[in-house]
Amino acid sequence: MSNQKKPVVEVRRFSKAFVLAHAVNAISFLALYITALPMYTDFFNWLYPVLGGPAQARLLHRIFACIFVTPTIIYLIFDAKGFFYWMKELITWKKRDLQFFSEFVKDLFGLKFKHVKQTFFNAGEKVNSILQIICAILIICSGITMWFSQYFPRAVVQWGYFFHNVGFALAIAVVVGHIYLSVIHKNSRPGYSGVVTGKVPAWWAKDHYTEWYEDEVKKGNFPKIPDPKHTKHKGA
Amino acid sequence: MTEYVKYVDVTKCDGCRACMVACKNWNDLPAEQTEFLGSVQSHKKTTADTWNVLQYIEHDNAKGNLEYLFRHSSCFHCTDAACEKVCPEHAISYTKYGTVVVDQDKCVGCGYCVNNCPFEIIALKEYKDKNGKEYRKAHKCTMCTDRLDEGLQPACVTTCHTGAMEFGNKTDMLKKAEQRVNEIKSRFPNANIYNPQGVGGTHTVYVLAERPSVYGLPENPKVPTSAVLWKDYAQPIGKMMLGATTMAVVGAYISNKIFNKEGKGHDEDGGGSHE
Repeated sequence: MSNQKKPVVEVRRFSKAFVLAHAVNAISFLALYITALPMYTDFFNWLYPVLGGPAQARLLHRIFACIFVTPTIIYLIFDAKGFFYWMKELITWKKRDLQFFSEFVKDLFGLKFKHVKQTFFNAGEKVNSILQIICAILIICSGITMWFSQYFPRAVVQWGYFFHNVGFALAIAVVVGHIYLSVIHKNSRPGYSGVVTGKVPAWWAKDHYTEWYEDEVKKGNFPKIPDPKHTKHKGA
Repeated sequence: MTEYVKYVDVTKCDGCRACMVACKNWNDLPAEQTEFLGSVQSHKKTTADTWNVLQYIEHDNAKGNLEYLFRHSSCFHCTDAACEKVCPEHAISYTKYGTVVVDQDKCVGCGYCVNNCPFEIIALKEYKDKNGKEYRKAHKCTMCTDRLDEGLQPACVTTCHTGAMEFGNKTDMLKKAEQRVNEIKSRFPNANIYNPQGVGGTHTVYVLAERPSVYGLPENPKVPTSAVLWKDYAQPIGKMMLGATTMAVVGAYISNKIFNKEGKGHDEDGGGSHE
């Protein structure tokens, strides 16, 4: 953005609660993955000495496990409205959400594509959210049975191991795509600074989440900006 | 290689507990504080420091008479061992004798084996290193694999004075078991050979006087279905999925470099041209 001549108009996309919850979720998830990685594959056995031995890796894993449970609570306490809006978005599926995916694939591989009008979350983000919510529930519930195995029937603990694996394996596979799209993929990169600061460039918001942007303009929250179709953003 | 099994005829056991002592002695296992359990039985079950426990069961038989049943209980050394399957560190392995042993250097004390053993035998022991840091290791009967290596028999077998235990090649031992069951059928109509096939057969084969459940043993033990799904499906498929999405984003990155050099992603040119 530094090459822009005019200062970029920014709009608030994420509440502070969302930013905090997302950061806590991301950091604890990665920490949980790393502290358990030597158990998942022998290739990472060198992590045991790094983490201070198996016993300490287990302790760290449990500390981050407690942190991993908090994002939902943070979001609910500080921005319940935002939380329920998110939930509502996740269960709202229209034709445009399906159209999104064919355009998304073109975008992903750098081909020419059109934006399909999306609301606050695009269909891809909704799929990401739904999968991560399912995975988090699987991971947390099964983790409790593994941690407190003495209080659960053996069969429940045994199935816990299975579901823990299913949960984190699916979650990390999705996370790779999620991080790539925000940190590396050019067209969606403003989303990354957005999830850190809470703010995104207005033109980008209008481009990517047209319906949401227009609704906010109607409510008087966001400035009217020219349609990006007519004003080309000349970049570096 | 001949397969060896430990044959235990519980009907010949007189409950002397010499096998327990011999085990502690050979394997250098410390004594444990125990509490009175309402019978002469010393420990509730096997622990990390007590690899075999003599069970004493007061059983009302079909005729309504009291039967005092003894059973030497220790690791079964399953042919398909759940502990070996779930161990994330490959610390548990099969020896050439068919016994199942724990490599103490590789064990990280996660306890997956403890929670998946169909017989609830293997257990964790807590240690403290010289810095006071706690760590855990899984322990169980090794069938005295170190003695087998030297051409000796397991310590419990060697010490058994009634001949209730024998160690020998599998076919001989199974034949012996069948003969013995026929011999005792009149005295114990429920007598049976306990060599559960759900775990591929075991390397400790019992002649039991009563149904396995009377001894607190599972009638049809098997490797937990969850463990099979976890280790044979969830784990490899999960790794493949991670590989697949990683390849997808690497492919996306490369194809963006080729097709989209200036970041002109789409018709409206709204996205990436600002970097």
